Amino acid sequence: MARDDGRSTLTRRRMIAGAGAAGATVLAGCTSTDNDGGTTTDELSGDIEISGSSTVFPLAEAVAEQFMKDHPQVDISVKSTGTGGGFENHFSRGRSQFNNASRQITDAEEDMCADNGIEPLELRVATDALTVVVNNEAEWIDCITVEELRQVWSADGPDTWQEINSDWPDETIERYGPADTSGTFDYFREEILGEEYNHSGDYQPTEQDNLIVQGVQGSEFAVGYFGFSYYYNNPDSVKALAVDGGDGCVDPSVETAKNGEYTPLSRPLFTYAAKGALAEEHVAEFARFYVEQSGKQELVADRVGYVPNTETAVDEQLAALETAIENAG
Amino acid sequence: MDEQSTDSAFAGVSRLRGRVFAALAKGASWLGILVLAWLLFMVVVDAFGLPAASVGWYLGAAVGFGVPLLAYGAYIRRTRPELGWIAVRSTIIPPGGLVLAGALFILFLVFEPVHWLTYYTVAVLPAVAVYGHFASREDTRAPLFATAVGVIGLVLGVFVDAALPVKPNPWVSLVWVLVVPAGAIIAWREATGDRRRQATIVGLTALGGVLASFVGPATVGVTPDTSVILYVAAVLPVGWYYGHVLAADRSAWPGLLAPVVAVLAIGLGITLGDLIGATGPDPVLDWQFLTSAPSTIPEDAGLFPAMVGSVFIITIVALVSFVVGVGAAIYLEEYAPQTGLGGTITRIIRVNISNLAGVPSVVYGLLGLGLFVNLIGMGMGIVLVAGLTLSLLILPIVIISAQEAIRSVPEEVREASYGMGATRWQTIRNVVLPRAVPGVLTGTILALSRAIGETAPLLMIGAATTVFRPPTGFASQVSAMPLQVFYWSFHQKSAFRELIAPAGVVTLLVVMLSMNVLAIYLRNRYEQQT
Repeated sequence: MARDDGRSTLTRRRMIAGAGAAGATVLAGCTSTDNDGGTTTDELSGDIEISGSSTVFPLAEAVAEQFMKDHPQVDISVKSTGTGGGFENHFSRGRSQFNNASRQITDAEEDMCADNGIEPLELRVATDALTVVVNNEAEWIDCITVEELRQVWSADGPDTWQEINSDWPDETIERYGPADTSGTFDYFREEILGEEYNHSGDYQPTEQDNLIVQGVQGSEFAVGYFGFSYYYNNPDSVKALAVDGGDGCVDPSVETAKNGEYTPLSRPLFTYAAKGALAEEHVAEFARFYVEQSGKQELVADRVGYVPNTETAVDEQLAALETAIENAG
Repeated sequence: MDEQSTDSAFAGVSRLRGRVFAALAKGASWLGILVLAWLLFMVVVDAFGLPAASVGWYLGAAVGFGVPLLAYGAYIRRTRPELGWIAVRSTIIPPGGLVLAGALFILFLVFEPVHWLTYYTVAVLPAVAVYGHFASREDTRAPLFATAVGVIGLVLGVFVDAALPVKPNPWVSLVWVLVVPAGAIIAWREATGDRRRQATIVGLTALGGVLASFVGPATVGVTPDTSVILYVAAVLPVGWYYGHVLAADRSAWPGLLAPVVAVLAIGLGITLGDLIGATGPDPVLDWQFLTSAPSTIPEDAGLFPAMVGSVFIITIVALVSFVVGVGAAIYLEEYAPQTGLGGTITRIIRVNISNLAGVPSVVYGLLGLGLFVNLIGMGMGIVLVAGLTLSLLILPIVIISAQEAIRSVPEEVREASYGMGATRWQTIRNVVLPRAVPGVLTGTILALSRAIGETAPLLMIGAATTVFRPPTGFASQVSAMPLQVFYWSFHQKSAFRELIAPAGVVTLLVVMLSMNVLAIYLRNRYEQQT
């Protein structure tokens, strides 16, 4: 390569000139700006880890997605570990700042947290509810008991309405519901049918709520169920039945779902924040955001399909949160 | 049995049994291939939204796409058959370049170009210069000096990197780190000895890189650094190949038209399809899907962070499992005692490695959780833990396949090497390893393909189901493609299950297949050399 003759020294100079040209452009491009030059809206930065229930996961995912759009420096990872698994393996060991839960924390889990000096703060973030619907023309029914509901939907159950309740018409039951891959199906089966009964196979399973609605709209003697959010957004398309869980008929509504009257078809969803972690500004800000969003119809109901918190509930949660943040800071 | 009946039995049965066996084997192969093909077909149909398009669209597209390509193919075949390979190569280079650009993009996403600039300037460049200087004088100490300079440069780089007064824009760093060396390589290969031409090539290449950083943002709307990466990985190789072919034979230009014809055919196909059938396919797997973060809105959902996560994890797995696995295999085959008490221990170890290859992957996940997270105290679900856990998982397979490859080198070759007076290390280094490399690489890559699709161990070590940004280092929380697909396939919304998950599967398969292609290429290269 480097034979020493006159020509090579001459061209070496050319090479240097070429490199110099490249060097000049390097200098020309030297500007001591921030690396990305992105518009920095705020100073919030850091990592947040969220573990816990797979039921609450979609909500946490949506909230995290939204939060990170506003705060590009914050990095959030969401793990679907199950409520118990999240408490045991992540939250109580200080590996996650939030643990989603589809039930309240147990005493054993609280002890586990306490052993590691972690104090959980319970935040209610939404309510999961199901709505049982019939045709708008079905004047003969307004309310259904849990026992009647079980008969309607259990395998090998009666064929006509009259077999369940003599006041009801002698017509065949037409059933529309979610397919067995859906979380709604699982929840309904757990709450209404329990261990002893199987879910009826004699129904039209579908993935889409609007198909259930179409089916129910097509016949006066049809019945269906789906997540609360669809009914919430289209209250006139079908008639929602009040459900009697033993304490009289309760209409499904945001109010009754949230205050726990609409049983057994509603359950509160929680996230638990580690009080100590709230001392960090980005964690505290995310917790505030989570609670604020829990009242937002657009995010909670439309996008994820749960019942949003009422304004008063949001305010209560916020107050509790602010106290915790102050104590942590 | 008497002799006669044995004879007749042998004569009568041999053909029938053989034929039945051959037919069964054939049937089994075809069954496997067809079932797999059907599965892949279904996934691809969903991922690209093929049912959305009307029959007319497909007819139009087939005509518009097929006619120009067939005409061009017929022309080359009839009149210029010697240009066939040029046509094939010139068609492969641009998409290959785009894949390379994607890999570079991910690399520079993780390691900022500024850091590359420092280490390249302070360590790599001086080391290469020193090596070139001594190698040109046929000094055998060249690698030694180069390594020394490189190491000193790396240490120096740490301080320089911290003390850099001004931070150059990423694209400037990329021009210096990527474009100039690329130009130097082209110059060196294309203009051996002619220094004036070499200098011109380097200068023009660098100029092109600088221009690209302005042209890209203005025309395609990408950032300047992406533009420079595209220039280096996609434009430059094409230009090089075209120049190379034309310099050798100017009349070869029809062969170089192949990619132009291909692009025209695709464009014509889509246009004709739209004219006839109105509605085209509605692909889920598009640019947006590959470059977006996961989302709860199906239209916005993407695979990008998980894709980068997978690439990251697999890089660690490749490094760890190759170094440790091949090392262990060499030791077990070449150094470990084969007789006496030591030999018994070696045999026990070998048998146990074979057993470990059959242990379910969940168990390795638990091992990773216990060892790396709980005992050593690394973070849960970070890149490093994921990579190390998957390394443990495939290590037995890598060791076994490397052992087989080393064992298949004939003993006579070793004996001959010893006979020439070579030491054991020299024999291993110069005789055994070069012959074993193809086998070792094949085994390693097949194992890596398995690792990239693993879900269970990642769940065990607490890898995140959803992360919105790609990892930025080895301690970042990470998700991987199979995890994301796993989550999507149980999503409450049907769009995720039926459209987004298949798109994820196809992406995973494409990444895996490109890895295998790379492996086959490497293996063939080595096989030709030895």
